[in-house]
Amino acid sequence: MKITIGHLYPELLNLYGDRGNIQCMKKRLEWRGIDVEVIEYQLEDEINFSDLDIVLLGGGSDREQILVSNKLFSIKDDLKRYVEEDGVLIAVCGGYQLLGDYYQTNNGTIKGLSIVDIYTEQKPGRLINNIIIKNKLFQMPIVGFENHGGRTFFGAKAEPLGKVIYGSGNNGETGDEGVIYKNVIGTYLHGPLLPKNPHLCDFLLKKALTRKYGEGIELAELDDSQEIEANSYIVKRFLKKDINKL
Amino acid sequence: MKLRRIAAIWTSKIIGLTCKIAGKQGVTLAGKAAIKIYPDILKELAGDVREKIFVVCGTNGKTTTNNLLCSAIESEGKKVICNRTGSNMLNGVISSFVLSAKLNGKLDADYACIEIDEASAIRIFPHFAPDYMVLTNLFRDQLDRYGEIDITMNFLKKAIKMVPDMKIIVNGDDSLSAYLIMESGNEYITYGISEQYFEEAEDSNEIREGRFCKKCGEKLKYHFYHFGQLGDYECVNCGFKRPDLDFGATNIKAGGQLVFDMDNRNIKANYRGFYNIYNILASYSAAITAGFKLQNFDQILNDYNPQNGRMENFSIGGTNIILNLAKNPIGFNQNISAVMEDEEDKDLIILINDNAQDGIDISWLWDVEFERFYEGSIRSITVSGTRCQDMRLRLKYVDIPSILEQDIEKAIRKCIKNGVGNLYVLVNYTALYNTHNILKKLEREYK
Repeated sequence: MKITIGHLYPELLNLYGDRGNIQCMKKRLEWRGIDVEVIEYQLEDEINFSDLDIVLLGGGSDREQILVSNKLFSIKDDLKRYVEEDGVLIAVCGGYQLLGDYYQTNNGTIKGLSIVDIYTEQKPGRLINNIIIKNKLFQMPIVGFENHGGRTFFGAKAEPLGKVIYGSGNNGETGDEGVIYKNVIGTYLHGPLLPKNPHLCDFLLKKALTRKYGEGIELAELDDSQEIEANSYIVKRFLKKDINKL
Repeated sequence: MKLRRIAAIWTSKIIGLTCKIAGKQGVTLAGKAAIKIYPDILKELAGDVREKIFVVCGTNGKTTTNNLLCSAIESEGKKVICNRTGSNMLNGVISSFVLSAKLNGKLDADYACIEIDEASAIRIFPHFAPDYMVLTNLFRDQLDRYGEIDITMNFLKKAIKMVPDMKIIVNGDDSLSAYLIMESGNEYITYGISEQYFEEAEDSNEIREGRFCKKCGEKLKYHFYHFGQLGDYECVNCGFKRPDLDFGATNIKAGGQLVFDMDNRNIKANYRGFYNIYNILASYSAAITAGFKLQNFDQILNDYNPQNGRMENFSIGGTNIILNLAKNPIGFNQNISAVMEDEEDKDLIILINDNAQDGIDISWLWDVEFERFYEGSIRSITVSGTRCQDMRLRLKYVDIPSILEQDIEKAIRKCIKNGVGNLYVLVNYTALYNTHNILKKLEREYK
């Protein structure tokens, strides 16, 4: 078995340890004897989405995000088709904002890809903190760090990645964090997202493998004690609660 | 002499002294008290400096550059004020002046060498206008505090605008710093490493902030890289390129010691770490620009013994220990290079804290090239600090096992007892002072 991961524009979108997400997926596949290829795309490269099983779109500064959004707009239809055909897409911070209808900043509005039913508006102050969210799919919470000036809101059809139990989340008001749509997750969590959340990483890897090789794929179990310890350290420190009592 | 000024000086001296006795670094507290009592304190004390004021700014290398510069000027027989400990925000800067003042409120100094935090420059320059600024480099650092590097550059730009007569000594190899200064309209002098040293001119994975031209947005073409975005760059679109270097290092050998030529001199320094060439170049070009002759520069370099956790050496119970600060990806990668230059077997302790001064966001750990430790004859790695769990995971994902020991003193003791006698301790900011003190304590204990 083999999984191909496409990292979109890491030259521009490379804030907040996004490479850690790639590294985490790569290692967790390799440790299970599954081949992995990571392709880093630059702005001038052509992307054939049918070659890809997982796509990562990371975060960048506002200036870099505008460069990327112009490019993404030109390949919008291909990316949309990939998503509708159940391709796995992980979009973090700036990448997450670009998935929506628009991102209204103080310097104008960046048009989004309209892949998921969300929109983002810049408001005074940045939401910067450790963050803990809970999704009922998993026993273990999802932990990370957020740092964003944009506040993201849902249209009618969007589902959050989790409910905020510590931190701000999408907008600091609704208690939602991130978005799930088909096999797409968008989130403000970095730190990076996946290493301290192996359950979420494996969830996505399984989606990608199932899409490629059909139902019935089981991921071999790994020793995640260090990952779980790192995750529960955050929970204990900020919530002052045991992980099992959530 | 105003009474309030004297009161301010006395109060902060007492605070400074109390904190010193209590073993805490009370420098910023002393400054805070002083300016509260007497808002003009910094303005007036800086005005007492008889000749010139230097400020040293930039992400990495500030403390070493500033301390070397101070030593160089002192060796010319001048009295210099210096914030040696690296307390570089407004209150820390105030303290360095106040604590140097005499009890009668007067300051007796020919020069001041002050390192300042990039984002604090706009708060400091209203108090005094420096004659010279050294800008070492701009790298990604503490994203949670500054947001991103563009924001830091804007802060600096605004600060420099306040002092159009300040002459700037800038690292020409850094496209970001050079762009900022060339656009500022201030007079400037450049330094850099003229020639290619590392074989691979090709892009590694190291995050390069300045890979796109700040002037026009085009991708920069590099003739060669040193590290980070430092190197010989050129924009084929708009013509922006590395400026001609006024002070360039050539014929470089880096290993156990640094050997290179600059300004028709041959420099030999017993420092590890290629990046220290920049620190030497920066301090040298600043002092020469200000008119010093530096006849004894070799001697200054030899006498310079860092006491502040920048490649600071300890010998404890037969173990040679090097303590160094590693607080952002580029700094850490340079630390890794310095560790790798030592071919002997070694143990390693990495301490990562996430206190406010460290940056509470530790995602930068994933931008550091830890996989390079694979080839480094490293016998053990111990991880410590509030974020030791994250550090352990970071290493796990490059297949490097590590030992977790949250208590740094225990970690050091274990390495002295069971290690190979050659220990590197790499820590980030808030752990530096404490770790330094623990090592000093152990030094006495083992004597």
